Amino acid sequence: METLTQDDVFLILKLIEESKYDELHLEMGDLRLDVKKQGGRASVVDTQGIPEGSAGTPPPAVFPEDAPHTGVADDVETTEDDSGLIPIKASMLGTFYRAPKPGAPPFVEVGRDITVDDTVCIIEVMKLFNTVKAGVNGRVARICASDGEMVEYQQTLFLVEEAEGRDEEKRKSA
Amino acid sequence: MGLSRVFVANRGEIALRIIRACHDLGIEAVLAVSEADRESRPAREADRALCIGPPQAMDSYLKVETIITAALGSHADAIHPGYGFLAEQPELVDACAEHDLIFIGPKADHIRTMGDKLLAREMVGTLGIPVIPGSEMVATGDEARKAAQKLGFPVLLKAAAGGGGKGIKTVNGADDLTDVFDEAAGEARAAFGDDRIFIERYIPNARHIEVQIMGDSQGAVVHFFERDCSLQRRYQKMLEEAPSPVMTEELREEICDAAVRIARHIGYENAGTVEFVFDQRERRFYFLEMNTRIQVEHPITEMITGVDLVKEQISVAAGNPLAMAQDDITMSGHAIECRINAESPRRAFHPSPGRIDRWEAPAGEGIRVDSHCYSGYVVSPYYDSLLAKLVSWGTDRSDAITKMRHALEHFIISGIDTTIPFHHYILHNREYLAGDINTRWIEDTLLREYGQ
Repeated sequence: METLTQDDVFLILKLIEESKYDELHLEMGDLRLDVKKQGGRASVVDTQGIPEGSAGTPPPAVFPEDAPHTGVADDVETTEDDSGLIPIKASMLGTFYRAPKPGAPPFVEVGRDITVDDTVCIIEVMKLFNTVKAGVNGRVARICASDGEMVEYQQTLFLVEEAEGRDEEKRKSA
Repeated sequence: MGLSRVFVANRGEIALRIIRACHDLGIEAVLAVSEADRESRPAREADRALCIGPPQAMDSYLKVETIITAALGSHADAIHPGYGFLAEQPELVDACAEHDLIFIGPKADHIRTMGDKLLAREMVGTLGIPVIPGSEMVATGDEARKAAQKLGFPVLLKAAAGGGGKGIKTVNGADDLTDVFDEAAGEARAAFGDDRIFIERYIPNARHIEVQIMGDSQGAVVHFFERDCSLQRRYQKMLEEAPSPVMTEELREEICDAAVRIARHIGYENAGTVEFVFDQRERRFYFLEMNTRIQVEHPITEMITGVDLVKEQISVAAGNPLAMAQDDITMSGHAIECRINAESPRRAFHPSPGRIDRWEAPAGEGIRVDSHCYSGYVVSPYYDSLLAKLVSWGTDRSDAITKMRHALEHFIISGIDTTIPFHHYILHNREYLAGDINTRWIEDTLLREYGQ
């Protein structure tokens, strides 16, 4: 039976990391390997093999502890490391678009100053285009989703460095 | 088998059941989760889980557009809706067709026809299968009274768009009728957006007997015998068994044949259940309704026939012919299912959400537990209260009962109240053991003795 050694897997991960591709799906006989790149680092998200003895009952998929499983909350958690940055989150699941139409300049770029009511992106749900407002005054520090990607509910789309003095105002209004 | 990735648009035990069936077939399963279910057991067992919205089902599990977008975005070939939520929404089936997704279930027209209880009655009547004596649509309280007087009291007022025990009212005499009619129409409008009401004669001392069927895209339809779901409280099933203790070979053949004829007549595809009311005094059955989905209680049929119905659903949805002919399907032994709900039987079955401190499910020969729960799991108040389906299989009814009693005694759930003590109470009741029950027995007799 064809199989992959640990070294083979490491080699594949390295190749993907250096390539321009985000995902790799490999099937060799009964073996399946799914590799997905997130934030520039490749990791195995799904390996599944059919067990030797009991045909028809594959073992549960293997998820290494550090690998993102749901793809949710991954970015949200990083906000703790980027102390002080405010996330702009997806208000619904849908396709994330950075620009009003294909070829048009994006609504925002990293380093751009934004105010509460500025449109920062569009989320499309079955031809319904929903504009997403910043909801915060500040400067775009990071863009966390890529154009045309499906984003989940509450997934972080942008991280914003909040404008000075806003914290206090927010506390007052809260 | 043409499918490689199935999108599961459900939660709880049925999501887990579908995910495992997919994995058995070598198919990947992507799961829709609300914010409340991100850390759920099905989310962990799925190959991928996608958060589709907040905990409220209206904004997550019931949103057709979001489900379709998520299924397309995750490159799934098919959607399995489970039961409840969008399982019987023809809009989801239409949207699947529009986006080249396979819907693991019947065609939209099947759901529409059977979802309209008036239309379904009429159609079944034309096949010469008995339907409960009743009226056409009644538009006013006055019309309702005339129809009821013709049928004889007591009668049931039913919403045409109802089903599954919802939208039913019992009326004992002409005096109450006008008031109850207005109330029923108002409730039906609010619940289903359709206030059409019809009247059925109330059949006392009835059992609820249903037949599991399955059809494929080549027009073949088979049945998997009957289930007896007479133990109900407020039209909600609590305990089911297969086969029915009151069936004779002759009656079984008749009722199963009727179910298959109905399904064949409309070219039904995938899993479905034809429900009948069985009049124990007259020993006659009447068509009640057809449910166009996999049902909660499907495991008891699997236990007596050895067929994995969910796998078969996926296979026929992929365009494969049914894996078995009618003659290949045989039944053996007896199976019982107890629905273990997060409810307090001593407090009128009040919901009892909260954290499960300790969860120890029974196991052993002939015991099956379909559940998504574990120690530390928090039962959320947003969804239905089903925690587990405890199923026992025995060589005969008394063997299945003995096993179920032991299983209930060894099912440890602490931190929340459950219906386990009530099931234990049922399984020691003399009338239940004798099979001397009907659909009103729990409410009219057992709950009184239980001290409610």
